[in-house]
Amino acid sequence: MSRTRRGLFAAIGALAMTLSACAPSAPEDQAGPGAASGPITLDVWGWRQEDAAAYQKIFKIYEDAHPGVKVKYVPYKADEYDTILRTGLSDANGPDVAQLRSYGLLQPLVAAKSLVPLDDQVKELSGFPEPVLDGARGESDKRVYGVPFAIQSLHVIYNKKLFAKHGVNPPKTWDEMTAAFDKLAAADLTPLATTITDTWMLPIQQEIFGATSYGGYDYLEKMRTGAAKFTDRPWVESLTKWKSTSKYWPRQFEGVSYVDAQALFTSEQAAMFPGGIWELAVFGKSNPDLELGIFNVPPPEGAATAKTLVPGYVDGSFGVAAKSPHQSQAMDLVRWMASPEFGQAFSTELRQISAVPGVTPQDPLLAQALAAYQADPSPYVTYAYFSGGTPTAWDLASEALSTFVTGRSGAEDAAKHIQQGVDQWFKPTQ
Amino acid sequence: MIAAKVRPARSRGGYRAGRVSLGWIATFCLPALVLYGMFVVVPLVTAFSYGLFRWEGIRPAEFAGLGNYQEVLTRYPLNEEIPAALWHNLLFFAGTMAIQNTVGLGLAVLLYRNPRGKRLFQTVFSLPYLISPLIVGYIWSLLLSPTFGPINFLLRTAGLDAWARPWLGDPDTALPVLILVNAWQWIGGPMLIFLAALGGIPRELEEAAAMDGASKFRAFWSVRFPLLMPAVGVITVLTFIGCFNLFDLVYALGGSDGGPSGAMDVLGLLYYRTAFEGGTNSIGESSALAIMIFVVVFGVSVALERFLRRREVRM
Repeated sequence: MSRTRRGLFAAIGALAMTLSACAPSAPEDQAGPGAASGPITLDVWGWRQEDAAAYQKIFKIYEDAHPGVKVKYVPYKADEYDTILRTGLSDANGPDVAQLRSYGLLQPLVAAKSLVPLDDQVKELSGFPEPVLDGARGESDKRVYGVPFAIQSLHVIYNKKLFAKHGVNPPKTWDEMTAAFDKLAAADLTPLATTITDTWMLPIQQEIFGATSYGGYDYLEKMRTGAAKFTDRPWVESLTKWKSTSKYWPRQFEGVSYVDAQALFTSEQAAMFPGGIWELAVFGKSNPDLELGIFNVPPPEGAATAKTLVPGYVDGSFGVAAKSPHQSQAMDLVRWMASPEFGQAFSTELRQISAVPGVTPQDPLLAQALAAYQADPSPYVTYAYFSGGTPTAWDLASEALSTFVTGRSGAEDAAKHIQQGVDQWFKPTQ
Repeated sequence: MIAAKVRPARSRGGYRAGRVSLGWIATFCLPALVLYGMFVVVPLVTAFSYGLFRWEGIRPAEFAGLGNYQEVLTRYPLNEEIPAALWHNLLFFAGTMAIQNTVGLGLAVLLYRNPRGKRLFQTVFSLPYLISPLIVGYIWSLLLSPTFGPINFLLRTAGLDAWARPWLGDPDTALPVLILVNAWQWIGGPMLIFLAALGGIPRELEEAAAMDGASKFRAFWSVRFPLLMPAVGVITVLTFIGCFNLFDLVYALGGSDGGPSGAMDVLGLLYYRTAFEGGTNSIGESSALAIMIFVVVFGVSVALERFLRRREVRM
């Protein structure tokens, strides 16, 4: 053998060894027939690193009732999770059960056939309200791919001490609300801690202040059948009404970030924070002395409804991986996730509203939020119902509303931007 | 006589090259080639091939040919966002050339002429290099916050309330602020390259110009600057590539939307949104977009490099 060949073989051999050392190995519980049999470990992937300890506590209840099954919550960074999950679900080394995003963000996984449809397998789902199941439904086949775990409702969260100090009560009418805002502004407080630079918060704020202007579910039904559009007067009016509160937003609100807005509220420089119910846990940790209350925005003059609507949506669900080697055990676990036992543990440990019907949160504020949402629910239109195609209404709304509130476009232009984007793929239901 | 001295040296060189076997050359080149292949060529070819298919999640569904390219270029609002983002990249490049590289050259000349404290200032100006752009972006977003940031606080304390702006939220100030923050971080780069280039130019040339009566500015502009052209060329091409690959800093300052009204939206963010916040066919569309960005950056870089080389020869 010539020197040349020997050199080449040596190099190729070294490279092969290096690559084989880098190759992924089989997971422990798939190590082949010779592997020792032991308890089955179900991997549950999720995006909530901060909830890992609470989930382990919740899953301990399941483990105690199911000897031979261990459940491990494997959290990933929230903004990397979707990519990691898409890859993870492509083979058996991924999760057995996965925490799934809702609505539009779920669709790539459904299209890739990475999940098992649950309609026929989890009979407990028949007790869930249809709008809740919409969050876990495939747009193409209308099948349910996850057991919804949380409902997020949207409110104006307020500082009870500041309200009491300045003689302000949760408002019953729009005029009462603006009078209260004026009173707080006169006391040198920022009435509403809002953010603009984190544009994902804009559609949330628009729903909180604008839902009654367009009318919530009634208007949504018309939109879904093509009888109403984003560009029609009620929806455009919802933008105008929301922006009319901008004089109560922080000074130079254009540059205020989400974290700034949270800090304004928790440092008691702002009296209110319009946002999701998930903020309660964050605010409680940042300033345990805060006394929090919630209210929803009463309808302004000319609103489509006289009710005070409470916008809400499904935050996510738990689904079974199509390539899981333990599919039957994973299915048992998601069945349990649809039970009141799981729902109650979830609500207590994570201070959130469980999506399982009949579960009442122990936290009085959560219970108030849930009761209000159940009484007068309103959809999160751009996020939940116009997110099944590309571009999603939510992405379009985040862009359009930032242009609108910074004064670069009018309400009609913002609505047109959303409608034009959605028109490319949305087919009205007959 | 001179030729006689040169000839054996040439033949010795040729003899040595002949003795090194191809096997050994391959052995030493192979690791670099494999790494280059794995991390540059393979992803590029993969992205090109991915862009030719329509995807369903992570599954290629059908061959789409140039369908993804057509989709990316015609679908609203991408069809308007691409030229807007390209324009922002161009403005960012122009701003960076005007501020970062011009000031970098000025600092290099100052340090060259005043060697006292040269090492200290070299280190000081180059320190931000060591910090990740994500951290730089986060720190500057805190400094520029209109509610808690010290910059607006100082301006207000000094009675300059009108100057206190929502820097990253106002579409008029967002991009200039991005250019300045970027220049703050990278100004040490062009400064060091210019300083090294200045050191390589014989002082006699400028002294001769001074003796001929040229002013300091004239001596710099007509004598020293033309000799700096190779460095200017390298820095321009590197700046162009850096400006068109911009992502981490702008993401930290303005999020994936490029701030309110998309005032800081650039091609890197557009790619990120298409790839990671896109729909079912995000792999196909983002791969097509990535290839288009690559073609623009590669094509312009090559053209720019050739243009600058020609200028160097002329000067």
